[in-house]
Amino acid sequence: MSRIGNAARNIGKLDELARRDTWLNRIHPLPKLLVTVLYLVLVVSFSPRQLTGVLGMAIYPFILFEFGDLSFTSALYRMRIILPVVCLVGVLNPIFDREPALTIFGVTVTGGVLTMLSLMVKGVLTVLATYLLIATTTVESVCGALRMLHIPGILVTEFLLICRYVSVLLSEADRMWQAYSMRAPGQRGVAAGAWGSMIGRLLLRSMDRAKALYQSMCLRGFRENSTLLPVKGLESKDLFYFASFTTTLILLRIFPVLELIGRLFV
Amino acid sequence: MSHIHIDISGLSFEYEKGHPVLDSISVSFHEHDSVGIIGANAAGKSTFLKLLVGLEMPPQGSIRIEEIPVEKNTLSKIREKIGYVFQDSDTQLFMTTVQDDVAFAPRNYGLPEDEVARRVARALDLVHIPHLAGKPIYKLSGGEKKLASIATILSMTPDIILMDEPSAALDPKNRRSLIHVLNEFDHLRIITSHDLDFIWDTCSRVVLIDAGRIIADGIPDVILRDETLLTAHGLELPLSLSER
Amino acid sequence: MHMADALIVPGTAAVMAAASAGAAAYSIYKVRRENDPAKVPVMGVMGAFVFAAQMINFTIPGTGSSGHLCGGLMLSAVLGPYAGFLTMIGVLLVQCLFFADGGLLALGCNIWNMAFYGCFVGALLIWKSIMKNGASKKRITLASILGSVITLQMGAFSVCIETFVSGVSALPFKAFLAAMLPIHLAIGLVEGLITAAVLCFIHEARPELLWGIGTQERAPARLSLGKTLGIIAAAAAVVGGLLSLAASALPDGLEWALERVAGTAELPAAGGAYEAAGAVQKATSILPDYAFPGSESAAGTTVSGLAGALITALILIGIALALHFFRSRRRG
Repeated sequence: MSRIGNAARNIGKLDELARRDTWLNRIHPLPKLLVTVLYLVLVVSFSPRQLTGVLGMAIYPFILFEFGDLSFTSALYRMRIILPVVCLVGVLNPIFDREPALTIFGVTVTGGVLTMLSLMVKGVLTVLATYLLIATTTVESVCGALRMLHIPGILVTEFLLICRYVSVLLSEADRMWQAYSMRAPGQRGVAAGAWGSMIGRLLLRSMDRAKALYQSMCLRGFRENSTLLPVKGLESKDLFYFASFTTTLILLRIFPVLELIGRLFV
Repeated sequence: MSHIHIDISGLSFEYEKGHPVLDSISVSFHEHDSVGIIGANAAGKSTFLKLLVGLEMPPQGSIRIEEIPVEKNTLSKIREKIGYVFQDSDTQLFMTTVQDDVAFAPRNYGLPEDEVARRVARALDLVHIPHLAGKPIYKLSGGEKKLASIATILSMTPDIILMDEPSAALDPKNRRSLIHVLNEFDHLRIITSHDLDFIWDTCSRVVLIDAGRIIADGIPDVILRDETLLTAHGLELPLSLSER
Repeated sequence: MHMADALIVPGTAAVMAAASAGAAAYSIYKVRRENDPAKVPVMGVMGAFVFAAQMINFTIPGTGSSGHLCGGLMLSAVLGPYAGFLTMIGVLLVQCLFFADGGLLALGCNIWNMAFYGCFVGALLIWKSIMKNGASKKRITLASILGSVITLQMGAFSVCIETFVSGVSALPFKAFLAAMLPIHLAIGLVEGLITAAVLCFIHEARPELLWGIGTQERAPARLSLGKTLGIIAAAAAVVGGLLSLAASALPDGLEWALERVAGTAELPAAGGAYEAAGAVQKATSILPDYAFPGSESAAGTTVSGLAGALITALILIGIALALHFFRSRRRG
């Protein structure tokens, strides 16, 4: 089934990007994570009609995508899951809100159109920002950052193991699906009669694997409070990254940069 | 005779009452031994290995590793001396990259980071895969995974290496490089397998187990050539020794 | 029903993150108390399992369409609600980071809407009380379907509330509910049927793996059904209260949404509420709305602003093209 293969490929591609050696990849994960969260907060903090303000926030991902040598197309491809939902929520706004908000060259734009557009722009920008984080930061580094934020070890270890075993279980599920579809030609999904045994067997195998995995970890000295990964210290370049981007983003949020540029011309 | 590393006497074990998996086994293994434990499926080979590191508890009889009895409160000491390589490399390798996985044990035993790095480099050198250090596990081939698995236990500098079916699912080339790597070791190593050609290429002593009992114990040249003995216990002559 | 970041405002995100963090902290406390170090690897592998199981298409009989699994209840029926909840957090984090399925900021919302209801309400409340006298195929099927339908309805309802108080949609609240609940009734039913099939299989193959199965002559539960219900109701009330507080402090989200619902500010009471909300808003809003001297940005968007956006875009694209040009020259 292409869904399973696609999922595995997506993870693989992101992991490859994250393991490249660009300056953005080399920045410590903690400031990258914090800047990303700050950016998300700032973007969604714009009120529904502030389209100009939200557009101004696009400067950040645009510049970093260029410098991080990342592709917009693959980032936008990820939005096929979430963007329809966002659009669906916003698409009725023009019908419910017909109050004129501004006039461009004689065309009156209603508040509903503005809120719809700003919602869609927010949708795109937030996805881009998260992509920017994960395409330049490996899973281990994300875990390191989470540890520095004092997220309990139990959750961080679990997250690391999920990331490690997703590919293993995806290929197991893929094999089971292939074996199934060979004997059930023309079916696009698993028929009701096999729901229980197919997922059930995968579940049992996973439980057995988990038991063996625990043994394997114990044999190499694992205890519940083990730290799996060393935590890297912050360097001055990381602090500089954090300070400069925090300031820039807050300035972008406070000052209507685009409007100022526009007023020079219009 | 060299120093005795593992001493087992009267070892029995059962999962269900009345169905012994191992039945009063007594045997000892020495430093630098390279032992192949052979037997058909469900002969008790894997259980035998697991008992040595306390993954199955409690055994009847006694197991002593370098004079220390295998008991609940000695396990951490014993596990520092023994490296166990699982049959399924995906069970053995649970971190995301090769170097993090090889570094797992030294880090857990609290070594400083520079010593950890030295251990990792040395372990990867021993199995000839230093170039794979930064590679994510999911990208490794089956053979690379097996070599990486061995490196993860070598970084603990164990005295004893146990391997469960190491040659399963390896292609001929990877199999050959695994044999090459194993033969370079000086440790006591115990390998379970029903791949008798692999045992022939890597072991200096063979122990045949069937239905939980030791049937034969001797040099490969004797046991692996004894067709009647092997077929009586569900095995066949190694391909390299059979005449066509 | 994964929520995107764009659908919420910082206040909503903060409240829901706090609520989910609270539930997570309690779960961690409970899991640690079990003192079973094997739990962590089990949670890791089972998280990956749920993820893989979600990728499998299931043919829905009689419709020709296919459905998928969410898995919170199924996971909790095997791991228990606390470990199940922590595992779902990991799954949701993987989905949000690697698949853009649900946002990073909306993670608190998504954990609450999917994991909390599925694990705490679905497993701790519904599954456990139906299983308290032992498991049978009938009981498992009943618990799975009831648990999945109810928790998905609760989740969908929460999505509506969170979107509504964030004020991003002009859609009236009732219309939003009318769209969300029926869809999730169907989704919940499919989820319930798949969960039932899997858990019945486990019950036959390895019954000891199922969590929360009581025996006939069981000691009285330490936490009665009434008490559990009370705790969950109290938690819901606290979250609801915090959420409405956050909503009233939004720049103008709730105000705007209320206006949509009530038509105009005809209701005198609503007018009072607006003023109160306005006062709170002034006091608490972290970021002022654009108030640049001489700016005509009362509506938040201006012609000169849009012109500026166009010009900036052109400049940035120019820079990007130049960068690409130099890069390819260097490589070539």
